[in-house]
Amino acid sequence: MTFIRPSAMALTLLALSLPALADENLFGYVRGAEVLPKGQVEAYQWFTRRSDKGAGKYRALDSKTEVEYGVTDRFQVSAELNMLSISTSGLVIDGYLPEDKKYGLRPQGIELAAKYNFLSPAKDDFGLSGIASLEYGTRDVHSGQKKTEYEFETGLQAQKYFLEGQLTWVGNLGLRAAYEKRKAIANLPDGVEWGTDPEMEISTKIGTGLSYRFAPGWYAGAEVLREAEYETDVGLERWSVFAGPTLHYGGKQWWATLTYFKQLRGGGEKYAGQSDEHLHLIEKTKNEIRLKLGYNF
Amino acid sequence: MARSSHDWCLFLLPMAAVASPVHASDYLTVPQAQVLLFPAAKSFAEQTLKFDDAQRDRIKAAAGVRQRTGEQKVWRAERDGQSLGWFMVDEVIGKHEFITYAVAISPDGQVLGVEILSYRETHGGQVRDAAWRRHFTGKTLADHFKLDDDVPNISGATLSCRNVMDGVKRLLVVHKLFLAKA
Repeated sequence: MTFIRPSAMALTLLALSLPALADENLFGYVRGAEVLPKGQVEAYQWFTRRSDKGAGKYRALDSKTEVEYGVTDRFQVSAELNMLSISTSGLVIDGYLPEDKKYGLRPQGIELAAKYNFLSPAKDDFGLSGIASLEYGTRDVHSGQKKTEYEFETGLQAQKYFLEGQLTWVGNLGLRAAYEKRKAIANLPDGVEWGTDPEMEISTKIGTGLSYRFAPGWYAGAEVLREAEYETDVGLERWSVFAGPTLHYGGKQWWATLTYFKQLRGGGEKYAGQSDEHLHLIEKTKNEIRLKLGYNF
Repeated sequence: MARSSHDWCLFLLPMAAVASPVHASDYLTVPQAQVLLFPAAKSFAEQTLKFDDAQRDRIKAAAGVRQRTGEQKVWRAERDGQSLGWFMVDEVIGKHEFITYAVAISPDGQVLGVEILSYRETHGGQVRDAAWRRHFTGKTLADHFKLDDDVPNISGATLSCRNVMDGVKRLLVVHKLFLAKA
C-alpha cells in the first residue's frame, strides 16, 4: 500500500502558505455545542495514535477524514471515512488481542452524523447541542482483526463562555450501542480465545474540558473523559478515565488541535499478567495523542 | 507495517499550519474612522482615561462585561470649539483574534455610529456591512442590548456579534460615568 508521508504533507502545507486558520474544536476528545452556519463546509482530518498496553509492543493509528455541512444555522450533517493502522507484537490477550498484527492504513469504517444546536453559547449564554451518529465498521480498532460492526451513538454537548469567550468550558454526555460480529481467524494457536458469536455492547461517555485563549488564535486547555462499557452478562465490564492537555491554534481558514491523553485510572477486566492494576488495558492503551486539522471552505 | 505509517511527523503538522501567515484584515485607520463617524468635525482632542480597580468594577457592574484594560483612549470631536461628541476605539475578543472597532457617541449618550477597523475571523465579515452596523445607531443605555432583539446575529459569528454589541454598551457606560459631564 502506498502512503503519502506525513512529513511530506507537512511540507506541502508549509509550501502552500495558506492563510492561517480558524474555527471550533478547541479540544481533541470532548466537543463543543456550536454548529456550522447554513451553507458552510468544513473538512477535518484527525489522527489518533494509541500506544502502550504495559507489555509487548502495541501501536495503532486511527485516521478520520470528515466533511461537515451546515444545513441550517442550527443543523449540520457530516460524513467520515475511518482508517486504521496497527502494529502489535509480543502480547496476546485472550478474546481481545489474539495474535501479532501489522499493517499500514486501511479502511476501517464509515460514519454519518447529525448535530442540532438547541442553544447558542454566545447568544443564549449557555450552549446545548445534540449529536446522533451511525457507523459501519469492518475492522476491530483494538486488535486490527476483521469484524462487522454497526454502531449508534448519541450525545449532548454543553458549552459555556466565560470572560467574553476567552475561557471556554464544555461538557459532554454520550451513549453508544454497538452490534458486532468478529470474523474467524484461520490457524489461531490452540488455547487462544477469539469469540465469533454476535455481541451487543453499550457504553457511556462523560467528559469535560476547559480552554483558555492565552494569545490571539492560541488556546491552551485540559480535558478529561470517562468511558464505561456494559454487557448483559457482567454489567459494568470495564471503564477508563483519560485526561490531558490540549493546544489549539486557529486562524482564518485553518485550525489545528493537539491533545495528549493519558489513562489515569481504569477498571474491569485485566489480561493475564497485567502489571498495571488500576488501568483498563484490555482494549485501551496507556497513552493517546490526537491531532485534528480543520479547513473552512 | 512500514514505520512510516507511524511517522511522528504527523504531529508536526500543526506547525505547518501555524507557520502559514495570518492575513490581517485591517479596513480603516483611526483618522479614517474619525472622518466617517464625525464628518463635520474639524479637530479631535485626544485624551486617555485611566481606570482604577474600583472604576473598572463600576463599569462591569453597569455594562455586564468587564473592562479588560485600565485605560481607554478617547477623542472629543470638535467644530468651532463645540463638542460634537466622543470618538472611542476599542478591542473585543473575536473567535480567535481581537476585533477593533470605533464608536461615535453624542454628548447626550447616544450612539451615532460604529465602524469596524479590523476583523480577521473566518465567518461574520458582514459585521462590516453598513446594514448591520446601522442597528447600533440611536442606541442608548436605556436599550437592552440583546442579540437578535436590538442587533441581529450573524450566523457563524455569534461570539463576535455579541462581543461587539456588549463592547458598544460598555463604551456607553464609560461615556456616562466619565465623559458625560466633561
